[in-house]
Amino acid sequence: MIELTNVSKIYGNTVKAVDNLNLVIPDGEIFGFLGPNGAGKTTTIKLIAGILNANSGTIRINGLDIEKDALSAKMQLGYVPDTPNVFLRLKGIEYLNFMADMYEVSTEDRRERIESLAKRFSMDDVLNDRIQSYSHGMRQKIIIMGVLVHNPPVWILDEPMTGLDPRSSFLLKEMMREHADSGNTVFFSTHVLDVAEKLCDRVAIINKGQLLFCGSMEEMQDHFKKNTSLENMFLELTESEE
Amino acid sequence: MRNKTVLLTRTLIKNGEGLGIRGSSTFAKVMIILVFAIMVPMLMFGVSSLVAALLKILKQIGQEGVVLSWGIAVNSAIVFVFGIFYIISTFYFSSDIENLLPLPLKPRQIIGAKFLVVTFYEYLTTAVFFLPVWITYGVVMRSGFLYYLYGLIVYLLMPVTPLAIASVIIMIIMRFTNLSRYKDTIKVVGGTIGIFIGVGINLVIQNIAGMMSQDELMELLQKGNNSLVVLTSGIFPTARWGAEAMIYSGKLPGLLSLLIYAGFSLLIYAALLWLGQMIYLGGVVGLSETGSKRNHRKGLELEKKAVRGSVIRTYTLTELRLLFRTPIYFLNCVLINFLWPVFLVLPMLFQPEQAKTEMMQQLSIALASPEAAGWIIVISFAAASFLGGSNGTTSTSISREGQELYVKKYLPVSYRQQLTAKVLSGFVLGLAAVIMMVLFAVLGLKLSPWLGLLILATAWLPVLLTSLTGIIIDLYNPKLDWDNEQKAVKQNMNVLYNMAAGAIPAVLTIAAKAALPGLSSLIATTILLTAVYGLLCLFLFKLLFTLGVKRFCRLEG
Ligand SMILES: Nc1ncnc2c1ncn2[C@@H]1O[C@H](COP(=O)(O)OP(=O)(O)OP(=O)(O)O)[C@@H](O)[C@H]1O
Ligand SMILES: [Mg+2]
Repeated sequence: MIELTNVSKIYGNTVKAVDNLNLVIPDGEIFGFLGPNGAGKTTTIKLIAGILNANSGTIRINGLDIEKDALSAKMQLGYVPDTPNVFLRLKGIEYLNFMADMYEVSTEDRRERIESLAKRFSMDDVLNDRIQSYSHGMRQKIIIMGVLVHNPPVWILDEPMTGLDPRSSFLLKEMMREHADSGNTVFFSTHVLDVAEKLCDRVAIINKGQLLFCGSMEEMQDHFKKNTSLENMFLELTESEE
Repeated sequence: MRNKTVLLTRTLIKNGEGLGIRGSSTFAKVMIILVFAIMVPMLMFGVSSLVAALLKILKQIGQEGVVLSWGIAVNSAIVFVFGIFYIISTFYFSSDIENLLPLPLKPRQIIGAKFLVVTFYEYLTTAVFFLPVWITYGVVMRSGFLYYLYGLIVYLLMPVTPLAIASVIIMIIMRFTNLSRYKDTIKVVGGTIGIFIGVGINLVIQNIAGMMSQDELMELLQKGNNSLVVLTSGIFPTARWGAEAMIYSGKLPGLLSLLIYAGFSLLIYAALLWLGQMIYLGGVVGLSETGSKRNHRKGLELEKKAVRGSVIRTYTLTELRLLFRTPIYFLNCVLINFLWPVFLVLPMLFQPEQAKTEMMQQLSIALASPEAAGWIIVISFAAASFLGGSNGTTSTSISREGQELYVKKYLPVSYRQQLTAKVLSGFVLGLAAVIMMVLFAVLGLKLSPWLGLLILATAWLPVLLTSLTGIIIDLYNPKLDWDNEQKAVKQNMNVLYNMAAGAIPAVLTIAAKAALPGLSSLIATTILLTAVYGLLCLFLFKLLFTLGVKRFCRLEG
């Protein structure tokens, strides 16, 4: 469960990237976070992950405050950033081991998970190579594996499908569904509305840091009083803001 | 159409970081300006008074021009040694290369622009040493306008020759040793070789200059009339012409020398462009490739590779891995610890045999005397403090995170633990320098092994101290906004600040020992030093865990 209460973030005294945001994402739900470029999605996600400090408001992960209870809250989280270029000079396996140590995963658990994840994502051939030598999609996969190796209850993914091949992307979506169905929370941002439409239980659309809409597909269609695609509604919502 | 080389140079300089002030907090900015405002003038004043004193003596024998030629020669040597590092990183390892290669630019335009950028940065270094020599000489000798004008031209062209020589060496090494599969190893080996070649060439040249017989030297001396200036041409040919241009600025030979000096500089620059046009691309293409094994047969070997370790241990090891695997970090943070003793030993090897044995004997005797013991421990602490400070590991440990700092923010590891691990990685490397120093003293200077052990048992404290000052400095003024690893360490002023932070306790320790003649026993000295340094470390740990942690928490990259 993720709760955002009156959260605002201002960059350098001027740019209000997130403006008084309120969101509750309960357990068992896949939540899609949509909005045009520069809307504040990445900023919100970084606030939830504890990377940025909010100027005001509170964020709770499974009831734990990300600022006051930082470490236990972070233990609940798995975060996939929007750029997968980290630790390029480590080997894939070293990276996974590093993450497992940071999240205090036992030796048996990590071995089992690394082995099965490497197979599922067809990464077993390259785990002994430096991440530097990976393609964009492979880097994305190793980061996702780094999250799954500690198997946190709350997943926060910033445009996770970008660069993944169809099979890996399908696999990830399947895993997200599984994870949510077993009572956990998945929060992700995306520009691919088809994915959002098919995968998410609920979506939020933000623009210029403000929440324009939050609810399920049906609720959105009720809101617009017509049976149209998410794409059309997205365009209409974000355009009327101009 | 504008000249592309000039255009590119301007873009590269603008894209650079200047003194690293941009993006720092106001407090840090004030501190930086203060340090500059105090240190630079102090250094320049020091050089200036030295020059004035030398001039007084040299004038009597008609050799005052030596000051200028040595000024230029020493500056050229400094530019050369620093240039080797600088050139490898800007020519080959900077990430902008990948963006430049697809542009419709000729290799010589890229080389030319990058060369000018390095030259530009070298002006800042040479200004500190050359300006005082130039001005002091001019004032003492009451030189006229032409002297200053020629001096300016000499100053502006001074980095060209040494940098061009450095570039040629580097380009040849990179062109003919580049096995892109092993890029990082090559970078490290190339860098190391470069340093040794640099130091070696200098020593050999010095030796050649020194090989002139006593009689010849006397003859030259007696001739007066600045005949000694000729000597320096052995080091950098340009030093002589530059000096003679300035000495005879009012006369025709001065103008001639200036023309030769300028002509030579331009010629060597042209030669560099020509060589660059031919071999630069061959060395640079494929630099971003990394070797990969794609090992199918061996499998994952998870029994060996996936084993749980403690947070601090894994974190520290990962820091060290990155330091060892990133060439620029390796050269500046790791190798430097092992180089100091080499710098100490090499010049000794080049001394004449007789002088060498005499010196060693005298040193060994001095070291063995009982009064010396107290001093030895004091000097070890001072040296350890200095060596620790000059190792840039902790003073760049936050900066090195760069845009990846956010990773450290979402990890469920307390900032206190993270900072501890960072201190630890710098401490381990600094310790290597102390161990090398003790080995050198025990094996080379016949220091008693017991004293050696005592030093090892205590002189880790100054290393810890400077590791702590380093990370605190970097926390307050981190350089996170870089696109190329060398900016994180090479163009990071925090390394210099921490060098100063290490030099201060070093100087104070020696001064204190000199001021307390009553304190001569080894045991008392050791206990006092250990207590003082120990307390300082505790204090800094406290500071790091309170203010430092707060500061780290507030950093947002
Ligand atoms: N480090 C920063 N400093 C200053 N302003 C920033 C910073 N990062 C983002 N912003 C600003 O904050 C706003 C929101 O940016 P954010 O990255 O959250 O957008 P986004 O919704 O993730 O966009 P995209 O779809 O392009 O990923 C933008 O106006 C952006 O310019
Ligand atoms: Mg984004």
